[in-house]
Amino acid sequence: MVAFPLARLIAEFSDQVIATDLPALPSARRADVVAFTGRRIAGLPSPMKIGVGVVATIVGGLGRVVGLRRLTGLLARRPIPVFGDYVRLVRSLSYAYVWETWPSTAPDGSPVD
Amino acid sequence: MSSRADVLVIGSGAGGAPTAALLAEAGYEVLVVEEGDMVRQGDAVPFSLDQMDRQYRSGGVTAAIGRPSIAYTEACCAGGGTEINSGLYRRPPEDVIDRWRTEHDIADFDTAEIYAICDEVEAELSVQPIPGTATGASEALKRGAERLGWSHDEIPRWMTYSSTDVASGRRRSMTETYLPRAVGAGARIETGTRVDRLVVSDGRATSALLSDRQGRATTVRFNEVIVCGGAIQTPALLQRSGLRHRIGRSLAVHPTVKLTARFGDELNVPDDVPVHQVKEFAPDLSFGGSASSPGLLALALSDHWKLFGSAIEDWRNLATYYAAITSEGRGRVMALPGLRDPLVTYRLTRRDRALLGRGLARLALVMLEAGATEVYPAYRDAPIVRGRRDLAAMQGTFGVGKASMMTVHLCSTVPMGRRPKVSATDSHGLVNGTRNVRVNDASLLPDAPGVNPQASVMAVAIRNARRFIERSGS
Repeated sequence: MVAFPLARLIAEFSDQVIATDLPALPSARRADVVAFTGRRIAGLPSPMKIGVGVVATIVGGLGRVVGLRRLTGLLARRPIPVFGDYVRLVRSLSYAYVWETWPSTAPDGSPVD
Repeated sequence: MSSRADVLVIGSGAGGAPTAALLAEAGYEVLVVEEGDMVRQGDAVPFSLDQMDRQYRSGGVTAAIGRPSIAYTEACCAGGGTEINSGLYRRPPEDVIDRWRTEHDIADFDTAEIYAICDEVEAELSVQPIPGTATGASEALKRGAERLGWSHDEIPRWMTYSSTDVASGRRRSMTETYLPRAVGAGARIETGTRVDRLVVSDGRATSALLSDRQGRATTVRFNEVIVCGGAIQTPALLQRSGLRHRIGRSLAVHPTVKLTARFGDELNVPDDVPVHQVKEFAPDLSFGGSASSPGLLALALSDHWKLFGSAIEDWRNLATYYAAITSEGRGRVMALPGLRDPLVTYRLTRRDRALLGRGLARLALVMLEAGATEVYPAYRDAPIVRGRRDLAAMQGTFGVGKASMMTVHLCSTVPMGRRPKVSATDSHGLVNGTRNVRVNDASLLPDAPGVNPQASVMAVAIRNARRFIERSGS
């Protein structure tokens, strides 16, 4: 498993990516998605996990300085090599989980009856 | 704890299962060690996240690092990739067999013999066309190709059907065929157990160090070992065991780019994939259909969610397709000290990048001809393609570096043959410089065959297993 505090950094970042991308996703669902993303990242092959850990640490540190919300928005809008892959990884896992678990979900994350 | 076997077979997929069956039936005392679990068919929904948790390595989240990185999937379960793949079957083309034999100087690699083995495999696995009408997503691919006058065909599958309904199909995977044969002939199968390392001295392997999920260690002693862990795990294990010469240096794959097409009618079948493929530009370029569950569709649309996202509400009318190329690029598999998993890299060539761009444009054209109202290419900031005139805009903005690349066909990391500086084993899988370490899986294929490789892997594995039996005089 990804060791604390890395898991926390990844969870914070995932939470922010999902909140930005899918603003209407109910908070309980968002927590499920964050937990799923964390589990999958913890299960990555070890070289990938190290790479993600390094990027997560840098993003976490920068996020403390400029604000995680602002940084996430920037990375989402202007993908930078390597950091963009981190966003893509979190986003891919999150979207796959949301629409497999709750197929009737609107593009903004709101549940559709 | 320790145990003993005449032959230790590591891995139970398309290479390991037939190897174990043939050797056990020839009278060898065979132990098969499989890292993953035994999951019976029907226990996991195909292409679901649950299946990825239970039957894929690392939950299906694995990638060859490069610019761009290429996501790939590897099975980790009894039966290996045969339990999770599309079930499509294609013999190795004759020109590919000829090329492998001549360019890699593979001895006794006779086309007639390979095809005779394919006959056996096809009977054992019940390879056949689907009995009724294909899924809507598959028919769309066929329709688009027909309207363009492009060649296409239905790829047979190794399945049995209880009715003319395609959904009644049951996969004839390794857990349904060769593994029961192996067990019936006396082979033992140990699942949930990883081989950490082979103990090799003076070119002879004498034992394997194993561990289970709780970290409990075991040693297995053997006379012969046959490594069948697939094109990533096989070279990694050999390297961890100190065998590195020409191993893991020539990973070959079929890189793919994807798009999602939206139609006026419902056509989505979440737990199946299309059986038709477009072969007009084969072997360089092939088009086919991918799994299209809502989760995977959302993933395919995520590269430009702001523009594409609204399509997900109409997921029953969506299907995802791929353009696959035969790549001139190569990758590496490297076991790194202190790390449990290998580092996998892949580098596309300039020609590969151009071909992927052309492939995506042609695939979009097929979809438009098939009646798609909108096409969503899977790359960052891609436009929606609604007609032919949008294709130019698409080609203008496409770049491989922006695309969600993936592959499933991994080969050639321990290539067989007698070619100096390239071949890592002899013509029948004996690792160079060793006396009893053999490889018998996709790693041996000299390059990616341009078609689904399972038939090639099985044919080569059976050929080599028979040779082993003949030479050992069992």
